[in-house]
Amino acid sequence: MLCGVPSPPMNSRHGPISLRVVEFTGPREEAADEANEKKRPWMNVGVAHSEVNPNTRVMNSRGIWLTYLLLTVVLHVVLLSIPFFTVPLVWTLTNVIHNLVMYLFLHTVKGTPFETPDQGKARLLTHWEQMDYGVQFTSSRKFLTISPIVLYILASFYTKYDATHFLINTSSLLSVLLPKLPQFHGVRIFGINKY
Amino acid sequence: MARAAAANGNSKTLLNCNGLRSEDVKRSVSQCNGEKNGPRTGVASRQHRQEFFEQAPMYVAVMTYLGFGIVTLFGYFRDFLRAVGLEKCHLAQEREEQKDFVPLYQDFENFYTRNLYMRVRDNWNRPLCSLPGPVFDLMERVSDDYNWTFRFTGRTLHNVINMGSYNYLGFAENKEDFLKTVADTMQQYGVGVCSTRQEIGNLSLHEDLEKLVASFLGVESSMAFGMGFATNSMNIPALVGKGCLILSDELNHTSLILGARLSGATIRVYKHNNMHSLEKMLREAVCSGQPRTHRPWKKILIMVEGIYSMEGSVVRLPEIIALKKKYKAYLYLDEAHSIGAVGPSGRGVTEMFGVNPADVDVMMGTFTKSFGAAGGYIAGKKELVDYLRSHSHSAVYASAMSPPITEQIIRAMKCIMGKDGTTEGIKRIRQLAENTRYFRARLKEMGFIIYGNDDSPVVPILLYMPGKVVAFAREMLERNIGVVVVGFPATPITEARARFCLSAAHTRAMLDQVLHHLNELGDGLCLKFSRRKYSSRPDLCNETDFELDS
Repeated sequence: MLCGVPSPPMNSRHGPISLRVVEFTGPREEAADEANEKKRPWMNVGVAHSEVNPNTRVMNSRGIWLTYLLLTVVLHVVLLSIPFFTVPLVWTLTNVIHNLVMYLFLHTVKGTPFETPDQGKARLLTHWEQMDYGVQFTSSRKFLTISPIVLYILASFYTKYDATHFLINTSSLLSVLLPKLPQFHGVRIFGINKY
Repeated sequence: MARAAAANGNSKTLLNCNGLRSEDVKRSVSQCNGEKNGPRTGVASRQHRQEFFEQAPMYVAVMTYLGFGIVTLFGYFRDFLRAVGLEKCHLAQEREEQKDFVPLYQDFENFYTRNLYMRVRDNWNRPLCSLPGPVFDLMERVSDDYNWTFRFTGRTLHNVINMGSYNYLGFAENKEDFLKTVADTMQQYGVGVCSTRQEIGNLSLHEDLEKLVASFLGVESSMAFGMGFATNSMNIPALVGKGCLILSDELNHTSLILGARLSGATIRVYKHNNMHSLEKMLREAVCSGQPRTHRPWKKILIMVEGIYSMEGSVVRLPEIIALKKKYKAYLYLDEAHSIGAVGPSGRGVTEMFGVNPADVDVMMGTFTKSFGAAGGYIAGKKELVDYLRSHSHSAVYASAMSPPITEQIIRAMKCIMGKDGTTEGIKRIRQLAENTRYFRARLKEMGFIIYGNDDSPVVPILLYMPGKVVAFAREMLERNIGVVVVGFPATPITEARARFCLSAAHTRAMLDQVLHHLNELGDGLCLKFSRRKYSSRPDLCNETDFELDS
């Protein structure tokens, strides 16, 4: 899963710190005690919370879903106000731009924009993989999976199921849905975006 | 108590999380507990239950995210300009010949530092050039290249009101007659001890201090250490080890977390001040035992703080003690901010709640905040402290507390206890309590959202948006007031705040000046987000009416 940390040999004098890390992140424990032991205690100097990686909580924060929906609506309205675009074109454009931006921010950019006290555990993980420390099927993940689908359904309707638009919209939707599958967690196809 | 009841009712509706998601956000659940649990338990007096964590209106959260979004986009744009060469890059770069190697610097991890923090970093690390009492002097520094480098103009800003120092009882002072004993001790014992307590560093002063601390707290025995952080991080490993369980509050300080980590015990975090979460964890721990073997835990230690310094909330001590007795766990109470600052005679949260100090197994505190010195102590039963004297890292390896500091603590503590023959100590405690109540009441009246218990001298004012945080800090300095502000990622993304630490040395005039400027800034920057109607005089609803106490 997410933390493939091999167990180091036991060294009683200097052992405790690294050994405890292994004990925490064992896959069995994460599955069993996810509610209790999800939060791992680390040394966070000068912070007001014991969260190791604040990035994991951003999508659960108050008002971010609303902000995301508002931004999509604003994008759509801006596109609608361009005089030369027809309505089907605008919907396809909204869908494509929304999926592009989502792919860029959730599935391309890796790591955290600030230093975390866990020595860069999340450096190679995209934001989607960092969300909720890799726990699948949380409500934020469900929301972010459903919203491109809803947008796709609306776009299909407004483009009157035209073939070209259908192709573009579907491929765009697939590009943003596939990385969200739990089977694709941590997967990098052809080594793209690996480091 | 009708006002409190009305406030309770109003805040219940306001504390409802938004209806967009099915599960509660962790942060708001931990913050919503103040009202839900209070009326049901009713163990301690109602007046200590007033902890509100009001949430700002939704548009504030949306604007906060937009603010961060814009800063991020501009950050990417500036990075692009730097990469292309259109903008001067002030950061460390690799040499040309090394560009093909594995990168030496992690660019993305510095993103916020170079694109957000650098632009606003004149609000932190401001150099002082005087004693950090109720007012202090700052060295004026300006930047010619947008905060990448600073230079001092040579001017000093005099008498800046200090709202950031943990100077709760005002002992950070320079009065000659107060410091006379400290100077004499320094003449007699020197400044450094040059040894650990176990070797040749055990002065009679230290023994006096420990006896005094024990009598101050009402416990059998205590031990003092040279550094407050090290008291936590070095003593917890001596108390618990592998096979023990630590139940630690969500917002515990780094020193507690580090100590817990170093000990090797299993750590579980419960939601802040949430007794249901704690009880659930206790039951589960007692029933299931250790994770794989299901053997019973050797010890269960609940770690809490007296006052949490970033929220200003106070621990729910009576309920935790009831839980601890029911499930036979131990309690570690870290009173770094609450010792000397709360309680009718300054004895901390045990006195505030009327709890027997013998019920708390390990009482820990620091001398840095209320006593104007440095160091920490651990107090409790004699067996416990004797064990720590020989088994704690701090006791065995760290050098002993310096004599003048020890004497400062002794004289401060004697002052608080009244043993120096004056009423100065009790006067200061009362002044602090009065300042706290006045400040908090006025802020609530003005309409700011503040967190925490009504009796806690730590007052965080929520500012939310990154731009406002910076503007607030800069404007306050313009008006000769020094404040501490904190933002993301040190706080949750929507809860950037300014933290005010009140002091007994603040006069009413200083507080009025600060409040006046806060009022102006609150209107100018639109910081008054509170939707609760709060008035200490229900008949006078005019917000600009100042309450002039005689």
